[in-house]
Amino acid sequence: MRNILVIDDDEIIQNVLEKILVKEGFRVERAQNGKEGLAKFDLLKYDLVITDLMMPYANGFEIISKLKQHPNTANAAVIVISSITHEESVMDSFKLGVDEYIRKPIMVGELLLRIKKLLLSRPSNA
Amino acid sequence: MPDIFADFSPEEPVRIPLLDSFLELPVIIQIAVIFIFISSASIVFIQVRIWFTRYKGHRMQKRLAVLLPLIDNLISEHIILRNDVMNNSVHADNADLDIDAFRLREFRKKGNKQILIDRLISYRKGFSGSTGALLRRLYLELDLDKVSFKKMKRSQWNTKVRGIRELTDMDISISDVNILPLTNSKRNELRSEARNAYIKLSKNEPFKFFDISTEPLLKWDQIELFKTITTTENIALPSFARWVTYSSNKSIVSFCLKLIVHYNQIDAGPAVVKLLDNKDHVLRAEAINCLGKLKYEEVEQQLLHIYSNQPLNCQLEILKAIGRMETRHSVLFLKQEFLYSTDFDIRKNAARSLVRNAPKALIEELMASSSEDGQLILKHSMNPLIKY
Repeated sequence: MRNILVIDDDEIIQNVLEKILVKEGFRVERAQNGKEGLAKFDLLKYDLVITDLMMPYANGFEIISKLKQHPNTANAAVIVISSITHEESVMDSFKLGVDEYIRKPIMVGELLLRIKKLLLSRPSNA
Repeated sequence: MPDIFADFSPEEPVRIPLLDSFLELPVIIQIAVIFIFISSASIVFIQVRIWFTRYKGHRMQKRLAVLLPLIDNLISEHIILRNDVMNNSVHADNADLDIDAFRLREFRKKGNKQILIDRLISYRKGFSGSTGALLRRLYLELDLDKVSFKKMKRSQWNTKVRGIRELTDMDISISDVNILPLTNSKRNELRSEARNAYIKLSKNEPFKFFDISTEPLLKWDQIELFKTITTTENIALPSFARWVTYSSNKSIVSFCLKLIVHYNQIDAGPAVVKLLDNKDHVLRAEAINCLGKLKYEEVEQQLLHIYSNQPLNCQLEILKAIGRMETRHSVLFLKQEFLYSTDFDIRKNAARSLVRNAPKALIEELMASSSEDGQLILKHSMNPLIKY
């Protein structure tokens, strides 16, 4: 079973992503803010981390740069889901090693396809 | 017949013992007693208000704890987790939607209905595509739009704002009769919300309210409107020169000048040039700024001609505009202003425009011949890190 970590301070997005991904057969861990997200890195080896950019305690950029250094998440694919549309933020995210940048509001079908495509192209980390 | 007024004598006043003893106290003590009484009453009143607000908040939290999971489950089951929606294999208008599942007894209460509206809006802000369209359909089929429209008819401005915001978030069009008068409301918050809603929701003429606006468009409102205009997809953009020419509302003209620059509407040049005769020097300065950013070279000679009769803010804008046009026709004028003006800002802006327009040899010559101040200004103007 593939492990996915969802970090977003929006409770609705968290709930919905968890339900969709669990329905699709993934194991999902969720975190409500950056600090909680960083703490979850120690729990499991993740295949995918989905993160927002603007969050309390630690923002998405900090999370992405730290997850690239953590043994449990270094090889995980990363998807950013954010309402920030500035070109600079998108570019900075890709420079940090993000695989996909999806703008809010999300299209559920599109997100799911991207997740599946990303995970198919990588071996499981678990 | 008994005489009930036998003991009553009109000369003798009615005596209240407590009041009498209060009146016998020294004035300073009387004032202190009144002050203590008012303070105590205020503290009791405030404390009761705090308790009441806390109680209301507690009841709301209890209600939310019951209703939100219920709403979330309904939305997940009937909208988000549906395979046809997730695969995008069905159009939201044709998808089967079990409306009756949402017509629960719990949502008949006004307060609970509001919780449902708020939750639907929160979901719609997070999800687009078929999911967003189905959420909108649900809002309409549950007649929740009527609740929002009712709010727009209420007299309190904050309730009106709430109604407009709900309809805007759900992308429900509002008829001009209802929304246009609100775009000119005396209440700034309502006016601003109505204007934003009008731009987002009006498909044909989103800027029609510019025609009737007599109330000013404040700077912050301009920022908000600018954000709405530039982020609304498929917005029908008019020629903003129309309001530059005809509007009597200065703030609308000023805002249109910014939009002309943003959308690079060079055709608006002649209309903007007419503003150079406007009596308001702030508007004149904004028009000059607009012409400079449009690089409207045809007006350069006119700007030089009017320069000496203008106040400082317009002169600075003329210097900047000449620099932006980069025609190199006015190097001599810029040089004179840089060398002989006594005003620091004029020298600085003339130097910046000189750096953009003058040949390198002239800048070097000026560097060699200028005073220490002049050299510093030139060096500053030549720094590429300083945005111009």
